[in-house]
Amino acid sequence: MRTYLTTASLLLAATVFTAGNALAADPGITDTEVLIGDVEPLTGPPALLGVAASIGHKIAIAEANNAGGINGRKIKYVLEDDGYVTARTIQGAKKVIEVDKVFAMLGMSGSGQSIAVMPVLEKAGIPTVIDVAPVKFLWEPARKNVFVVGQSYEEGIIHLVNYLAEKNPGKKWGLITQDDDYGITVRDGFDSVVKAKKLNVVYSGNYKKGQQDFSSDMLQLKDSGAEVFLAGGIIAENIAMMKELEKLNLKPVTGIFWPGRIEPVLKLMGPAGDGIYAVDYVEPFASEAGKAFLDKARPLVSEAELKGINRYTMTGYAAAKVLIGAIERCGKQPTWACTISELEKTKNVETGVMAPISFGPGVRFSNQKLQIMRADAATLSFKPAN
Amino acid sequence: MQYLLQLLISGLAIGAIYGLIAMGFAVIYKSTGLVNFAQGEMTMITAYIAWTISTTVSGNVVVVSLGAILGAILLGLVIERVVMRPMLGEPVFATVMVTIGLAVILRSAINFIWDAYPHSLDVGMGREIVRVGNIGVRTGQIAVIVTLLALLAAIWAFFRYSKIGVAMRAVAADDRTALLMGISATRVHALAWAASSVIAGIGGVFFALSYDLSPAMFQLGLKAFPATILGGLDAVLGSGLGGLLIGITENLAGGYIGSGMKEVAGFAMIIVVLMIRPFGIFGQRDIERV
Repeated sequence: MRTYLTTASLLLAATVFTAGNALAADPGITDTEVLIGDVEPLTGPPALLGVAASIGHKIAIAEANNAGGINGRKIKYVLEDDGYVTARTIQGAKKVIEVDKVFAMLGMSGSGQSIAVMPVLEKAGIPTVIDVAPVKFLWEPARKNVFVVGQSYEEGIIHLVNYLAEKNPGKKWGLITQDDDYGITVRDGFDSVVKAKKLNVVYSGNYKKGQQDFSSDMLQLKDSGAEVFLAGGIIAENIAMMKELEKLNLKPVTGIFWPGRIEPVLKLMGPAGDGIYAVDYVEPFASEAGKAFLDKARPLVSEAELKGINRYTMTGYAAAKVLIGAIERCGKQPTWACTISELEKTKNVETGVMAPISFGPGVRFSNQKLQIMRADAATLSFKPAN
Repeated sequence: MQYLLQLLISGLAIGAIYGLIAMGFAVIYKSTGLVNFAQGEMTMITAYIAWTISTTVSGNVVVVSLGAILGAILLGLVIERVVMRPMLGEPVFATVMVTIGLAVILRSAINFIWDAYPHSLDVGMGREIVRVGNIGVRTGQIAVIVTLLALLAAIWAFFRYSKIGVAMRAVAADDRTALLMGISATRVHALAWAASSVIAGIGGVFFALSYDLSPAMFQLGLKAFPATILGGLDAVLGSGLGGLLIGITENLAGGYIGSGMKEVAGFAMIIVVLMIRPFGIFGQRDIERV
């Protein structure tokens, strides 16, 4: 009897000891729950992307929870607002990792914010999938625990300018960009095609972030005789530019970039937005895949959240699907090491909202396939362009 | 010539919006000796109120205008009663800090009450383009210039001839003596906040009409502030004209020098002007309390 009790006590102690170690090493996971953290701009103008991305995360989480969770564990989502302020992103990430003790991270705000928070993520070693603002610095050099779903801004611009250059040979070009890291990336992408294709650039403007009146800029564009125009604004800026062009009775072939490719923009641009080209790696909502995604989302989110859906919801959804899949593949006792290893093994994961997602050994960037789409003012939608 | 004319017209249109908001700054300063750093946010809230009325009650221009004016009055009065009046007698620095805090709260309120998407304010007019030769201008832009000029005249008459206007000037000159003369300083302050909210709100509504409504609209306050410094922080009419000057200068700099100069030009101009006239072009007295 004594031997039996001793053995039982030793086994119990070993179990408690091992379990204690596992909990200490891998926070954010209990027998019933897995915590996933996120920091996004939920207030201020960039909330347009932060709120939408978080809705995408919520849709993927609700979908997984409705199917029984991750191997029986329900997913709990911990969301922090950074107001698009870098210091608050760092503070928020630290809070989510150290105080809330989440198991994995998603999203991570804008490009500048995710770059700034990288040391925190690296030091913590927490599995992270970034989906809002893919910029090269996030995957070059590759960090063991940080994965990025999307396509680089530079590649996006190169793809768009190449497409427009092929469709409009010999035309005069105009470009305007924002005076920040986003604008520099757009300009770098544009310049690389200008060099390669020897494009004739007759107007090159640079506006200060927050500028709302583009009357003199567009007048300069008109005066330059530009026939193809790359509007390097984000949302409100592109709307203001297109309205100015309408006022000036000017209709150049216009291309915009994916941060501004959201359907409400077309309503605000009115007829001026008809026919503008855009580049993106997520499906337009007017496509079959886009409609299917909305059908899927409808029962999983509130009415208010449904109104907040845009392309960032798709990027958020895809990233969350990839992360949830990786944790799931780790079986009953997921760990950070296993999740990172499974993320690395991600191969052709179908999300329905973009091309299949893959990572690989040392590859932390999914390098999504790009497509060109065109605005249709009549239906207020973007449709794949030929 | 056509290029210059187009720049001038666009500059006048955006300058008129700056001017209206700048007048809002000046009305509060003139009556309370305080710089309201939440002016841009109050402008934005009024524009959002107008948009809410247009989408939920009626898109009729009269209904939207009256609703927005009432909303702006209420906003100004509530802020004065709840936030500013308890600060009466406190150091100016603390009071100014309260307006900065108020600005952050109002900015965040947009996302809580409305959303982060840009919206267009549709009242059935203001967006049509009028063309004279090759020069295009929206009817809303013409309307805002006319409105600014009309308000300048009305405010001049108000301060010059009305009892309340004279009382406001008295409180601004010396609130204690005004009190001894039977003028209620708190009532004058409340009136100033309401008037400032309405005048700046008109600018916000015109901006939403000509451009769009978005949570970034509060930045108009930052653009209008140089206008009020240029015109004179205590000069309501001067602030309105300062807005026009800033708008034209910005556009000419943007059109002839380059896009990057557009945002800098207004500030460069106030540096030069303040070196020559430290109280602004139309300012009349020493600015001590901010």
